[in-house]
Amino acid sequence: MKIMKPISRALRRPEQVFPTRMTLGVMKGKLKGAQTGHSLLKRKSEALTKRFRDITKRIDDAKRKMGRVMQTAAFSLAEVSYATGGNIGFQVQESISNNARFKVKARQENVSGVYLPQFEADINESINDFRMTGLGRGGQQVQRAREVYSKAVETLVDLASLQTAFVILDDVIKVTNRRVNAIEHVIIPRTENTIAYINSELDELDREEFYRLKKVQEKKQIATAAADAEMAAKKLREEAERLNELEKHETEDVEKLVVKSEEDKEDKGEADQEKTVDTTELVAETEGDVIF
Amino acid sequence: MADTSRGWSADTRTRLSHYGNFLADINQTLSTSVIEQKLNKKLIEDFNYIKSQATYPLSKFMDYITYSYMIDNILLIITGTIHNRDKGEILKKCNPLGWFDTLPTLSITTDLNSLYETVLIDTPLAKYFHNCLSIDDLDDLNIEIIRNILYKEYLEDFYKFCLAELPNPTDEIMERLLSFEADKRTINICINSLDTDLSSDEKLKMLPSIGLLASNDAIKYQLSELSDLENLKILMSSVGPYKDFFNDSTSAGATSKSLEDSFYEYEMNLNRNAFTQQFTYSTIWAFIKSKEQEIRNITWISECIAQNQKDKINNYISVY
Repeated sequence: MKIMKPISRALRRPEQVFPTRMTLGVMKGKLKGAQTGHSLLKRKSEALTKRFRDITKRIDDAKRKMGRVMQTAAFSLAEVSYATGGNIGFQVQESISNNARFKVKARQENVSGVYLPQFEADINESINDFRMTGLGRGGQQVQRAREVYSKAVETLVDLASLQTAFVILDDVIKVTNRRVNAIEHVIIPRTENTIAYINSELDELDREEFYRLKKVQEKKQIATAAADAEMAAKKLREEAERLNELEKHETEDVEKLVVKSEEDKEDKGEADQEKTVDTTELVAETEGDVIF
Repeated sequence: MADTSRGWSADTRTRLSHYGNFLADINQTLSTSVIEQKLNKKLIEDFNYIKSQATYPLSKFMDYITYSYMIDNILLIITGTIHNRDKGEILKKCNPLGWFDTLPTLSITTDLNSLYETVLIDTPLAKYFHNCLSIDDLDDLNIEIIRNILYKEYLEDFYKFCLAELPNPTDEIMERLLSFEADKRTINICINSLDTDLSSDEKLKMLPSIGLLASNDAIKYQLSELSDLENLKILMSSVGPYKDFFNDSTSAGATSKSLEDSFYEYEMNLNRNAFTQQFTYSTIWAFIKSKEQEIRNITWISECIAQNQKDKINNYISVY
């Protein structure tokens, strides 16, 4: 097979398309079509190549045969000139009538969609224009030479039809192979590249979308947390106020009590201290919760 | 290919050098046709040389020899005229041995009657034409018939001349030679007309009235009625000298030694024997015929060499 030139990378570059899901679908369809076409064309090319090899072989045979036949023919002509002792070419030429004895018929044969012309020899045995030539001498040799030459022309006709088929098939095979290669090495990779490009673009979009969503969620959470903390602080404050008020009431009671009894004073002061410690701890705890 | 042909052409040149330097001025590669052409030229020169020295009756005898070539030439011209060929082209193809001064004028005439009245009447062949020519006869098929009728007339006339005019050993030898020539034609016409639709009357018109076969009316009649080759063989087996010809050739032309070869060989033997008699005019005939055979042989051999068919190279006729 021929050595192919490396295909330029530019040819396989993805097409300039807008990366959408619809284009992706279109591209996938195109790839599928290209693959089917490729396998079909490949099969066609194989069928043609098979035929081509067959014809090449037959041309070889026909050429060899023609060599032999032509040699016999030329030799029989030598025999004629020996037997008649002169040139009878003119007599033969002049006795040709208008009815052709040897006709070539052409028909067409279809090989995987290629029309090959086929030539067929058609000999009308009843026509013999120079059967009188060499009546006096050498007539048999003349007739024999005529037969041998008819065979030679038949071989030529065969060869002509094979050669024509050869040339046409050669052309068609070249075209088909070029198409197969173009699909295999350009169209399919390019479509694949385009699909990959579209996929990557779509993935990128997906990722962006995900990150955006996440960001939104985070913002939302921060917002809720802030709201919670405010609520908690509000509660604390209320609590603290309530406690203060309670303390106020207690101090008034205590003053009243101090006035009443001096002995209980020490006990009450200790208990008071303990309570303030408790409340500061509680505030610290709630603050830590808010910060999380 | 070019090398081998140059090789054999050089070889042929040296081998044939005793034949005269007839190939000396050929520069290009020798082809069979060139050899044949040159050999023929040599023959004609020899013939004309002898003829220029001849007196009656030899001159008349030699004229008679040329008549057979004249017949061929005239028919060639007539054929060409029927088909409107170029005159110069046909004249080139004429055999120089059968050349006569009025030959080129033949092609000018278009009407066959005027052809006879103006041209042929002055040629020595007029009397032969007189017997067979009618205007309707001249189409393609009949040209061959006319040729053979003319030839028959010519042979008979020559035969008569030989017996009447020539001194003793010559007439005997010429009788033998011409009889054989006539018989050869008879047999050939019969064989070659087997596949044609010639009637036996037409055949009878073409068969010469001299020779061994013609002397026996029964054989002559049977010959004209023949329908296949086998019958001819049976018929010929009763004729002494020609018996052996048909034993070898199982089917005519197909075996290594064909009927034609047998004829040529027999004819050459007769010619060789003609040389054994001294002081005869028939030597001239024998010389011309042998020379022609030699040309055929040389052509055959060169053809065999040129076409690389060396196994058939010995199929020529050699009697000397």
